Amino acid sequence: MDHQTTNVLLIEDNPGDADLVRLRLVEGQSPVNVSCVNRLSDGLASLTRETPSVVLLDLNLPDSHGAETFRRVMEHAPNVPVVVLSGQDDEVLAMKAVHNGVQDYLVKGNISSKNLERAIRYAVERQGLLRALEITQKQQLEFKNRFLSHVSHELRTPLTCIHQYVTLLLDGLAGPMAPEQSDHLKTVLKSVNQLHAMIRDLLEATRAESGKLRVEPRCIAVGELVQQVVAMLRPTADGKRVGLEIALDQRMPLVYADPDRVLEVLINLADNAIKFTPAEGSVMIQASMVEADPGFVYISVTDTGRGIGPEAKALIFERLYQDPDSIDNNRSGLGLGLFICKEIVRLHEGRIWVSSELGQGSTFTFTMPVYSLAKLLSPVVTYEGRLRPAFVLVRVDLMPLSNPPRGNWKESRQQSFEVLRRCVYLDKDLVLPPMGTSGALETFFVLASTDIKRSGIMTTRIREQLERLPDLQTKCTVTITTVPVELPSGNLVEALEQQVQSLAGCVTQMILTNRETKQSRARKSTQHSN
Amino acid sequence: MPRPKILLVDDDPDLLRALRLRLRANNYEVTTASDGYSAIASAQKERPSLIILDLGLPVGDGFVVLDRLQNIDALSGVPVIVLSARDPQANEERALRAGAAAFFQKPADNDELMNVIQVSLGPGSAQRAAWPS
Repeated sequence: MDHQTTNVLLIEDNPGDADLVRLRLVEGQSPVNVSCVNRLSDGLASLTRETPSVVLLDLNLPDSHGAETFRRVMEHAPNVPVVVLSGQDDEVLAMKAVHNGVQDYLVKGNISSKNLERAIRYAVERQGLLRALEITQKQQLEFKNRFLSHVSHELRTPLTCIHQYVTLLLDGLAGPMAPEQSDHLKTVLKSVNQLHAMIRDLLEATRAESGKLRVEPRCIAVGELVQQVVAMLRPTADGKRVGLEIALDQRMPLVYADPDRVLEVLINLADNAIKFTPAEGSVMIQASMVEADPGFVYISVTDTGRGIGPEAKALIFERLYQDPDSIDNNRSGLGLGLFICKEIVRLHEGRIWVSSELGQGSTFTFTMPVYSLAKLLSPVVTYEGRLRPAFVLVRVDLMPLSNPPRGNWKESRQQSFEVLRRCVYLDKDLVLPPMGTSGALETFFVLASTDIKRSGIMTTRIREQLERLPDLQTKCTVTITTVPVELPSGNLVEALEQQVQSLAGCVTQMILTNRETKQSRARKSTQHSN
Repeated sequence: MPRPKILLVDDDPDLLRALRLRLRANNYEVTTASDGYSAIASAQKERPSLIILDLGLPVGDGFVVLDRLQNIDALSGVPVIVLSARDPQANEERALRAGAAAFFQKPADNDELMNVIQVSLGPGSAQRAAWPS
C-alpha cells in the first residue's frame, strides 16, 4: 500500500479549498495522484472512465447539493470509498453521509496532511474489507442455494424408488394385500407425499431467495382459479368434514398474473386453512374489489380455525417459521409455504397479509394487479383525439388434437402469438396478451380498428401465416372467428378517456363471455378423452 | 395381438424393475437400457413404439440420446417421454426443444404418466399393435 500511488478524485468547486487539499495531499508521505473537477456531473463522468482509489467530495457543488451529492456518487461507483469534505457548519450532514455508507468526513480548515492521509488510508482499507465481506456473503448464499438444489435433486432419486414400489404394492401389481397391510402402506405413501412436497418447497424457497423464481403473467380470470382450487381440495376438506365455500364478486375484472403461481398460492393458503380448521368448521375463498384500491383484486382465504396470536402473525411469512402452538399438527411441513407465497405475490407487485385473533379464525389476503385493458387500448384505438369508428374482435383458437398436447406446446403457443403480432397494423390493431390458464386450449384475441367487412383480409392473412408454422397443423386445429364490437350509442359525446374505458369494458365483457363457452367446450373435450 | 413395445431407460436398476412391472401390468411390452449408448443401440434393434428416458445417464446422457434419436430416420418419429429427477425449470424446455414429447419430474404421478404414454402412442394404442418399423 505504501509504495502504491493513491489516485484521488477531488470533487470540489471552491478553487481555494481545492488547492489547499491538493497541497496537503502532496505534502504527505505516500505518492499520490490527484485529479480535480468542480462539478458533480464531471465527477460522475470521470468515475465512469476510471476507478480512483478514493473520492474526496464536497457536498455543495454548482449542480448538486447536500445528501443528493453523496447519494449519487455512491450510486454511480458503489465500490469506491468516499470521504466527505465538510464545512464547519454542516457536520450534521457529514455524519448523515457516514451513516449512509460514506467512509469518513473531514472538516475543512482543519485538514492536516497527516489526518488527510490517514483518513484516505483507512477509508480505502474499510471499503476493501466491506467489499470482501460482501463477496464472501454472496458466495456463501450461492453455495447454500447450490447445495440445497443439489440435495433436493439427489433426494428425489431414492424417493422415486420408494414411491414406485409402494404404489406397486398398493395397486396390487405384486399380488393381493391384506387390508391391514394395505392400510399401513397408505400411511407410508402419505409420508412419501409429504416428503415430496417438502423437497419441492425447499427448491422453490431456494429459487425465491436467489431471485430465480419465474413468473409468466397472463391475463386471467381469478374466479376460474378459485373454482379449480376448490375442486382439487374438496376431497381433503370432505375427509375432515370441513366446509369449503366460494364467494366471488359478480363483476370481477381480469388480472394480470401467472396462473400456475396464483394457483400455488391459493392451494397453499386453502390447504393450510383446512389443516388448521377443526371438523364442522368452514373455509371460505373470496375474491373481491376494494373501492379504495381499484388497481388490485383482493383474494382471501378465511377459516374458522383457532386463529393466530400476534407474535406468530408478525413472523408467519418468514422462512422456516412454524407456529409453536401447532405441534398437534405434527409434520406439517418445513415452514416454507407462506414464505414462497409471499415471494410469488411480491413478484406480481401485490401484497399479502393475515388478520386473525386467537380463537376467532384467520383470514389470509393477497392482492393481484388488475389487468388494465383501457391503458393498453388507448394508444391504438384513438386517432387525432377521437375514438376510431369501428372495431372488430378477432378470436383465434388453437385446439390441440390430443390432451395433453403433443411436443413443445408452449413453443407453438409463443410462435402463434408472434405470428399474430406480425399480421396486424401496430398503430391501429392490438394483439391482447396471452389469456387464460396455462391449460392446453389456447385462445388469442386481437382488437382490430376496422369494420367487419374489411376484417376478412386480416383473418385470411393470419390463417395463411399460421399454416406456414411447421408442425402446428399436426398439433392442433385453428379456428378464427370475428365479432364486431358494439359500442353503446351516445358514447361519442363522452370524454375520450371515458370512451376508451367503455370500449375496454365492452371488450372485456366479450372476452369473458367467450371464455365461458370456450371452457365448457374444453371441459367437454376433456371428458371425452377420459 | 402384439402389445406396444416401450423402451425404458434409467440407470437405477431398482426403479427400472418397478417401472417395468407397472408397464407390463398396463399391457405394454418392455425392454430396458441403463446407459445412453445401449439406449440408442437398443432403440435401433428393438424399434420400440415409445421411449421413456432418464436424463442423468452414464455413457451419453439423456440429451445426447435425444439428439441421436432425432438424427436416425427410423427413430425420429418415436415419441420420447423424459422422466428425470432434474429441475424442470432448467430442463423441461430444453428436453422438449430437443424433441421430447413430454417431461415428467420424478417422482411422477403414475396415472398421469400412463395417460401420457397412451396419448403419445396415439388413439386406441392400448389395443393397437406396435408401430410398423
